[in-house]
Amino acid sequence: MHFEIMDYELPTNFDVVVVGTGIIESIISAAASRIGKTVLHVDSNNFYGGLSSSFNLESFLKLNIEKRKSICMEHSSLNDTETFFPINNSDFTLDEVTHQWNITNKNKNYSDEENSAQEDIIAKEICAKKWLKDDLLKESRKFNIDLTPKVQYARGDFIELLISSNIARYSEYRSITRVLTWFNNTLEVVPCSRSDIFANNKISIIEKRILMKFFTSLDDNEDLIIKDYASKTYKCFLTDKKLSKNLIHYILYAISNSTDSTLCLEGIGNTKKFLKSLGRFGKTPFLYSMFGSGDLPQEFCRLSAVFGSVFALDQPIHGLILEENSFKSILIGKQKIKAKNFVLGLNLTPDFFLNKVKKKFISRGVFITNKSIMDSDNEPLTLLLYPAENDKNPCTVLELPWLSSCCPKDTYLVHISCNQINNPEDDLKHCVKNLFTLNEDFKAFKPLIFYSSYFSIPTNSDENVNLHDFNNLFICPGPDSELDFVTAVSKAKELFLKMYPDDEFLPRAPDPEEIKWDGDEEPSDIAQ
Amino acid sequence: MAHRKKVLLKVIILGDSSVGKTSLMNQYVNRKFSNQYKATIGADFLTKEVTVDDKNVTMQIWDTAGQERFQSLGVAFYRGADCCVLVFDVTAPNTFKSLDSWRDEFLIQASPREPENFPFVLLGNKVDLEPRAVSAKRAQLWCQSKNNIPYFETSAKEGLNVEQAFLQIAKNALAQQNSAVDLYNEFPDQIKLTNTQKPSGGGDSCAC
Repeated sequence: MHFEIMDYELPTNFDVVVVGTGIIESIISAAASRIGKTVLHVDSNNFYGGLSSSFNLESFLKLNIEKRKSICMEHSSLNDTETFFPINNSDFTLDEVTHQWNITNKNKNYSDEENSAQEDIIAKEICAKKWLKDDLLKESRKFNIDLTPKVQYARGDFIELLISSNIARYSEYRSITRVLTWFNNTLEVVPCSRSDIFANNKISIIEKRILMKFFTSLDDNEDLIIKDYASKTYKCFLTDKKLSKNLIHYILYAISNSTDSTLCLEGIGNTKKFLKSLGRFGKTPFLYSMFGSGDLPQEFCRLSAVFGSVFALDQPIHGLILEENSFKSILIGKQKIKAKNFVLGLNLTPDFFLNKVKKKFISRGVFITNKSIMDSDNEPLTLLLYPAENDKNPCTVLELPWLSSCCPKDTYLVHISCNQINNPEDDLKHCVKNLFTLNEDFKAFKPLIFYSSYFSIPTNSDENVNLHDFNNLFICPGPDSELDFVTAVSKAKELFLKMYPDDEFLPRAPDPEEIKWDGDEEPSDIAQ
Repeated sequence: MAHRKKVLLKVIILGDSSVGKTSLMNQYVNRKFSNQYKATIGADFLTKEVTVDDKNVTMQIWDTAGQERFQSLGVAFYRGADCCVLVFDVTAPNTFKSLDSWRDEFLIQASPREPENFPFVLLGNKVDLEPRAVSAKRAQLWCQSKNNIPYFETSAKEGLNVEQAFLQIAKNALAQQNSAVDLYNEFPDQIKLTNTQKPSGGGDSCAC
């Protein structure tokens, strides 16, 4: 894109410089801007969101080669009293993204002689529309493929923050239609609401009563539970409650999204969180943002901009300059930009501040398929919580129909994630094998995979950061393996309050009609 | 589309910094003008009820919030736009030269269903100022070359042509919404988050 007027020069003095546009950085940016701080928010990528971003199909296919060149730094601009810390520009490296097409540009069914009408009918039943690779590429813009997909609890901290800060006005959500689990080698709907429980024909009437009683009893006896089960697992608690195997499966692996080793109190907390979020916006506790999770950081950035932050993507960010005992400025291109505080994504953090530890990853799979993993009358948004199996970690499967505006009509976009053990393909293969088929002539009713991709997302938490008492640098961890953004919200709030302990975190932004439009204020460029 | 409940038109305004995007919007909706241009603070989107062809519609006009300054508007900004208003400053030729880039940027990011028929409207703003650097003729030629985009010469300061321009914008946005079988507007069950729901769940775990 070539613009005639380019405002190349950034303003050079701010309260806060935020580097990186992941969700935590974006929330902090909005919060600082909202209380009147001057903020410069930059990213070395030419898109928002970093590892929380979403891409259309064509951009997604190019991800592998879009590795950042390391940037040379001109030390000449430093004074004797200054020390330079180059930021880590290995930033946007998704390791080994693989892409496999299971369809070609030629449709063999139609190019071959159609000798069997029978076969044709079956083909039509399996797949209402025949897709070719080129057809999908032509619809590239209809895809919004999340790197790190997130669903939000309807009463979780993230949704509450969107509402209380009035950022919710930028976004539209869809309710997850159903929550599934994998049980006894088959997909089962997890009964969420009271009506679900009573409509469920997999559990007996006695079990239904026990389940309802269990849910209502969670608020009672809390002290007793804390005392007796402090170091015991949730599974142990559920077993002691004499719940049937069925019920334990639903509660443990789906409703509380736990594992066999999850501690009792955490399991109870998760269960309550699930129950609390029911019935607010939909049948299940979960919401998914239209156009993908990648729009969420952008909404916070928008609020930040509305309150005056300066935004600049695609910036040659070199590093931080330390003078005496605090960071004084950041070198962007040839400009030295001063600020009182610096907020930095963990993936950009200079090596100097990181303890050497083994990196952790999320194994990710992305699939484009022809139909839902479980038949339904409408086009469902499905969350499948696939329990741990043998040597495999539990997997989160999010299946999106076109209604989510993340894929074209007559396709489904499926995200699978789990904490990495070996590599994405290996970690997810049992799940993929049970849910999908690669064989077009396969007459079973599993969805057919058109396209699949595997990659790893680094998930370093900030526990390995050592800031050596430099108190004006704030490090934001990258993506995590939580279902939602609850950890991101609490981290953003924590860092913001460290920076501005006496200020309110994201108070409600006024509606546009409430903004005063008089010209009483002095003319001033806020960024100067 | 008889079943459409309420017509909401999303209009976005694009153009270089300080061509008067916020001022135009503010003049149209609030009939106010301020020379004391405070880099678009607090300007988010403004809404106005208008009547187009006997139809009441709500026009939601989105400002760039200054994110255009370093070409850093995210793709989320462009979602679901029904009309794109391009603005240049008739006294600043560079802002006219940028129009192609803004138009391309819009088409790439918003990826409308029929790019060649998507409604743009061009506003040459600040006609109250001298010296004039881009002639009306030149602007009109550009509009002709882009499938006859409507062109208006405006002054946000004096309120000149602003009302007329936005009425045209509303008209074209509505026509676009009616003609294009716009999938996004047909999505049922979209959820706008509000806090009208009860704040606490309690025993209310029944989804009805």
